[in-house]
Amino acid sequence: MGAQDLTIFHLLSLSVFLLPVIFINRRLNLHINRTLIKSIIRMCLQLGFVGLYLEFLFKFNSPVLNIAYLLIMICIACQSILKSSRLKFRSLFFPVFFSLLIPFTIILFFFNAAVIKIDNLFEAKYLIPIGGMLLGNCLRSIIIGLSNFYCGIQKDEKVYLYSLSLFGNRSAALKPYFKESFIASITPTIASMATIGLVSLPGMMTGQILGGSIPIVAIKYQIAIMLSIFYTEYFSTILSILFSLRTGFNDLDVLNQDIFISKK
Amino acid sequence: MTKTETKNNEYIKYRGIFLNRNSKSIFSDLNLDIFKNEKLLISGKSGTGKTTLFKLLLGFEQPDKGCVLCFGKPICKENIPQIRQQIFYLSQDIDLKNTGTSQLLDEILAANNIEQQGAYKLNDLLSFLELDSSILNQEIKELSGGERQRIGLLICFLLDRPIWLLDEPTSALDDVMKQKIADYILDQDKTIIIVSHDEVWKNDKRLTTKRMG
Repeated sequence: MGAQDLTIFHLLSLSVFLLPVIFINRRLNLHINRTLIKSIIRMCLQLGFVGLYLEFLFKFNSPVLNIAYLLIMICIACQSILKSSRLKFRSLFFPVFFSLLIPFTIILFFFNAAVIKIDNLFEAKYLIPIGGMLLGNCLRSIIIGLSNFYCGIQKDEKVYLYSLSLFGNRSAALKPYFKESFIASITPTIASMATIGLVSLPGMMTGQILGGSIPIVAIKYQIAIMLSIFYTEYFSTILSILFSLRTGFNDLDVLNQDIFISKK
Repeated sequence: MTKTETKNNEYIKYRGIFLNRNSKSIFSDLNLDIFKNEKLLISGKSGTGKTTLFKLLLGFEQPDKGCVLCFGKPICKENIPQIRQQIFYLSQDIDLKNTGTSQLLDEILAANNIEQQGAYKLNDLLSFLELDSSILNQEIKELSGGERQRIGLLICFLLDRPIWLLDEPTSALDDVMKQKIADYILDQDKTIIIVSHDEVWKNDKRLTTKRMG
């Protein structure tokens, strides 16, 4: 039994609530109506396209196509991470790409092979949505990790350099910045694991139940996916900071100012 | 390091340094030699590159042209960790990271593998610097300017490195303490460069003087 299909008309009926929202925004002079409408249109178009090419990917179910699609997703994730972290794409694309690729690949295939035990590890139905969930969550944690780390050192450069002179080595001088940014990046997921089920029902579980799964199966999947998300976030954030150090600092361990996108 | 000490005991050499920052020339063909156990006072107006001399030696800044040698070794990727471990730098604003004072001292001593020697000397140095041991329980940001400066000097004396770069080391101290610290510093068998506008350093025969700008 699958979820009941929605007609376009039924979907559009949700825009009934958009009218009071637009009205209130206008009355309160919030100036966010244009952004809001643009975001809703983008969401519909992007998801519409995703729907189309997911149908295509599921139909062909080709390992090469599936892998290519995941690689493109990782590249787009890198671009988004670096833009949001105010770091230059040209300088840090490869460190971020590999920091995502390595834990993502290991955990995704472990999930498919050892947890849900599917025969075809490249099965689009599992590979693409689960990969998308892992990537989507990593995006946020790497952005928090990288931007806190580099902006923290940039803001605090005199203190960092002074620590470098006192400790005599870069690792010791970087330790507090790493610690602070890493904790900030993984805390949201740790907090969400602690409250899940109490204050929120996750989208994946809801989707599965609507799709016809019995709640206990949906819950097992949810636990598995939450843990996988956490592990991927954890390792990719550590690696993103570690891999970026080579470009982020010059030969004398001084922060390389060229990695930042200049403020306009 | 002793093997690499150069002839004539030249510990630090600035050779043909050119440095421009924001279209302003800071150094134009600067040459300077500092010898083992020399005590050098650098004076001059603000913006003449006094602090930059320290930053060049620590590798925090790189010259546009010329080179800096420490123990006969150029400042480069391979040498910089060893060189930094031989130099103590007291920055003008004492840019210590904000944490508990005791924790900071422990971390610095551990990173330099001198936990035992450091702990042994700590109480004597606290009393010499007229700091109450309760200061160890305070956060760095809670300390006054004078206390921060004395904590900076405490770290200097604990680390006991062969080269000291002291940027305005006595600016926040009272006159009696200034004299006490200056006498202590100038009696050390260390190579010491001081940037200061304080009267206490002027006309002291233990110091050689270089005027910048």
